[in-house]
Amino acid sequence: MLSAEKISKRYNNNRRQILDSIDLTLDEGEFVAIMGESGSGKSTLLAILAGILLPEEGQVLFDGKDLYSLSDAELSEVHRKKIGYVPQSNFFLKNYTILENIVEPFVNTNDADPEELSEKALAHLDRLGIKDLADRYPHELSGGEQKRVALVRALLTDPRLLIADEPTTGLDSETGKIILQYLSDYVASGHSVLVATHDEHVKEYAGRVLDITKI
Amino acid sequence: MKPRRRNNLFKDIRRHAFYNACLLATIILLSIMLLAGTIVSTSLRTGMGNMQKRLGADIMLVPKGSKEKAENMLLEGSRSAFYFDASVYEQVSGIEGISEVTSQCFLKSLAADCCSSEVQIVFFDPVSDFVVAPWIETEYKTGLSGDSVIVGSDIASEDGTIKLFGQEYPVVSKMARTGTALDSSVYFSTDAKEELLKNAEEKGSFLTEDQKKSGILSSIFINVKGDHLVDGVIEAAHKSIGDIFDVVYPKKLHESLAGSLLKITGVINIVSISLGAFLVAILLIINSIIMRSRKQEVALLRVLGHTKKRLIGKLITEMGVISLCGAVLGCGLGALIVIPFGRLIGNSLNMPYLGPSAGNTLFQILFIILGVFLIVFLSSIFFIIHATNIEPYLALRREE
Ligand SMILES: Nc1ncnc2c1ncn2[C@@H]1O[C@H](COP(=O)(O)OP(=O)(O)OP(=O)(O)O)[C@@H](O)[C@H]1O
Ligand SMILES: [Mg+2]
Repeated sequence: MLSAEKISKRYNNNRRQILDSIDLTLDEGEFVAIMGESGSGKSTLLAILAGILLPEEGQVLFDGKDLYSLSDAELSEVHRKKIGYVPQSNFFLKNYTILENIVEPFVNTNDADPEELSEKALAHLDRLGIKDLADRYPHELSGGEQKRVALVRALLTDPRLLIADEPTTGLDSETGKIILQYLSDYVASGHSVLVATHDEHVKEYAGRVLDITKI
Repeated sequence: MKPRRRNNLFKDIRRHAFYNACLLATIILLSIMLLAGTIVSTSLRTGMGNMQKRLGADIMLVPKGSKEKAENMLLEGSRSAFYFDASVYEQVSGIEGISEVTSQCFLKSLAADCCSSEVQIVFFDPVSDFVVAPWIETEYKTGLSGDSVIVGSDIASEDGTIKLFGQEYPVVSKMARTGTALDSSVYFSTDAKEELLKNAEEKGSFLTEDQKKSGILSSIFINVKGDHLVDGVIEAAHKSIGDIFDVVYPKKLHESLAGSLLKITGVINIVSISLGAFLVAILLIINSIIMRSRKQEVALLRVLGHTKKRLIGKLITEMGVISLCGAVLGCGLGALIVIPFGRLIGNSLNMPYLGPSAGNTLFQILFIILGVFLIVFLSSIFFIIHATNIEPYLALRREE
């Protein structure tokens, strides 16, 4: 489903080669974790695979099509429906409630019914144990709660591929496990998940664990 | 069921309340300035254009000692009365070198039953006239004879007639607005003078001794032939009627006023251009700050599948709503300041000031709203496009 070929990346005027000719494939129904020490380029790789950071060299093929040669409209469609992304740092629209943060971005873009989207979001929040936060505002939430909200936002339209950057970092191991189990269930229902993490627990859930320095 | 569209426009504007308030304030100032600038300078210009029409004579002879009164009447329309003996006209009109000559007679402070305030009555000779005709606004339909009148623009006549001292006079034409007291004058043909004075006296109006005399006139307007000197004509007039008159130079009055108008509009232009440039610079700064603070929001929405086109449209709509509100508020405030105080502005500048009509003002306001939108659009579009073009991952990282 996703295959990256010879991905290389350096940042603008930085001589350090962050990613050097990386190949990676991910199949339908796979749960892959990428591990590696801080600064090794995990976030950079995930962003490139998610179609939100241009690689210097190489191609990212999603369903056989190079993400970076799609038009803006086509790439947006992929982001809207097929690839969900959870960034490493949390970001929300500050005067929107949690529920609005999850639902509003999709309301006028997808042909979905806002009521249905809200119900779906609430169901996700419920299963992640934070349903009662739906009407609060982002700044009132803890980091771990925000992380779960970001996960729900990325999952709302049932993307075939979910890319999550450090989904469990900063959480207690109980909450971490809830999230990993959640991702694992998502995979079980026929989707694919790619995470970057330092969390050793991931090994119990992921089908494949890769060291970024060895791919 | 078709999905309901939701509009978060105002919520999104409120999210950046502080910067958007700064933006709004700047736009309001810009609109006030643009509106005040255009209204004041067009009013001065139309006032001047109109005055030029009234000041179409090289010289105006008035009784000795009345120079200042006469000038004030020409410039500000203040009501005056001063008299020559009518025989003076015959003597002066015979002077060599005169191309056009006509006389007028003014009556002031006649309480008239047509009008709530007193009117100034002007008698002029339609045959030799060359000073009243140029500022008649509506064409004469019938000739002006002893029993009809032309009225200043402030004098209302519902049924096409006005009543003065018990007699009805059909209104055959109206003067262009001057923005001065001249707008409440009534213009008669000289033929009507005797009868009107008689009626006035019968109705109990107080007439001065001068006014009771039959052959009187107030001023003689003269245009001098191109190959003759104005001073020569004045000299000849002295010889012929003696030292009984002062000379007013209407065309020169206009020239000197036109000179000051040029200076004043020059100052207005310089001030508005520099203030405008300053405000545009502030707009640019605010827009750059706004878009810098919104980069992450834009990036997040792109990650969630919003197209660049959609985001640009959304941001421009927000700017558009703010600039519309600002321009409307600014024009409203500007109009509140400039329209009531317009006359005051004209007076303090010592210039003729003729405020634009309501329709004209509305047109200027629409024009300014459009212009302000364009300025805001141009001052933000670069930042908007830049923000939507940053790679989403890079913008999201900068948060940290
Ligand atoms: N925008 C940028 N400009 C320049 N250098 C950058 C930029 N983003 C990341 N880097 C550098 O690239 C390297 C990889 O960063 P990246 O965030 O991908 O690492 P990571 O493996 O995700 O680290 P962590 O585990 O701490 O999240 C780091 O050395 C970082 O300093
Ligand atoms: Mg990282």
